[in-house]
Amino acid sequence: MTELRLITSEPEDGPFSAGTPLPRRLPAGRHGIPANLVVEHQRRRLLAAMAEMLAEHGYANVTTTDVSEAASVSTSTFYKHFGNLWDCALAAYVSTADRLCEEIETACAARDPRSEPLTAGIEAALAFFSAEPDAAQLLSTQAPLEASAIAAARRILISRLAAMLRRGRDPEEAGPQPPGLDERLIDATLAFVGARVSAGEAETLVTLGPELAAILARPRQAA
Amino acid sequence: MRPEACAAAGEALPVETTVPTPDATVREGEMEGALHVVGELGYRGASVRAVLEYSGGHRKQFYDHFDSLEDCFQQAYATWIERLGVSLLEAAVSADGWRAGVRAGLIRLFQFASEQPAIARSLLIEAQVAGGAALSEHDEALERLAQALDSVRSEIAPGQEPPETTGIFVVGGIEACLCDVLAAGEVSRIWDALPELMHLAAGSYLGKEAAEAEFEAARELLAGDRAGLGGEGR
Repeated sequence: MTELRLITSEPEDGPFSAGTPLPRRLPAGRHGIPANLVVEHQRRRLLAAMAEMLAEHGYANVTTTDVSEAASVSTSTFYKHFGNLWDCALAAYVSTADRLCEEIETACAARDPRSEPLTAGIEAALAFFSAEPDAAQLLSTQAPLEASAIAAARRILISRLAAMLRRGRDPEEAGPQPPGLDERLIDATLAFVGARVSAGEAETLVTLGPELAAILARPRQAA
Repeated sequence: MRPEACAAAGEALPVETTVPTPDATVREGEMEGALHVVGELGYRGASVRAVLEYSGGHRKQFYDHFDSLEDCFQQAYATWIERLGVSLLEAAVSADGWRAGVRAGLIRLFQFASEQPAIARSLLIEAQVAGGAALSEHDEALERLAQALDSVRSEIAPGQEPPETTGIFVVGGIEACLCDVLAAGEVSRIWDALPELMHLAAGSYLGKEAAEAEFEAARELLAGDRAGLGGEGR
């Protein structure tokens, strides 16, 4: 079973660091690339292929063959990395969730000090989803019964994003509130993103920052 | 007997036109069976055999009614999601005002999920797994509920309206919360979320005061008669 965690295990720098476009496959024959990097490259291709194939075929029809072919690896290589299709789907979910959280944290840390962290975080999340609709679909779609670990990973993601939402509010406006409310807002936000992507409107997400910020703020504002 | 003949004879019209035929009853059972089995075994794990074990019908009869298990699921999905949507809206419109209507709709939804968790799982989660026509029906049903929530806009002062997408945001949040407890196999926990979801719905449209008032009202409701609502012992 893939370890369930939401912290990245990928190298910060190097040939396959985050943000570097993945070549479809490594050169054949002797290429001098260390074996551990080849394995890491295969794994990252498989995770990207999983998200791509889920978006294309859905949970109902995706197969290990689809994922292996899209990643340009053999099915035997697939099974060297993952026990089954759902282990791969879980790893893809966790990896994508990590990347989303990192994008938000980076944007909040790098924001103009005069701007609100909440605004920066929302815009970073929507930019991520808009640029990677497959990732948006992966994170927002409910997982099948066979992949119940993804539902658990989703709960962890919701909790993590809810904590970010709490930290991102203006402390003077924050005030006390019953527990669980921010988790509901994050649930709704992911569903909102999923509906847009499902409707083929992923590219419009990047324009919805002010609207989403207004929706998230409204339950805390006097009428 | 033809209806015109009954009327001419001064007799009451027979009700036989509204009584399902035995075949229609079997078909209905097969559709319910498909939803139940998909909810229990997952969309990928369901089979015609499992459906027939649940519904008690015969394979030939099943294929007289449907082209395939997928066809059966899609037809069942369209029927049941429509029924559920109508049921929620009926609960809402029979309540006194928008806020009470939202609460009544949520309670009806939670009662349905508590009584038939496998079918609720099928309608809410496995439709997203199945994709295709079922997912389209699912999305349209959510859109209708979002439009119903939007009816409160007529009570909001001009210039104070919430963003246009508030309805689908709120409906999506409610569904995601229910999916979460269904996926965990802990559907009775959904009742604990009633105050939070009332806060989400009322607050998203009407602001902080309405959110806090509805949160407290839902908490008091649960404290007073949770068992009566169907929130315990299921």
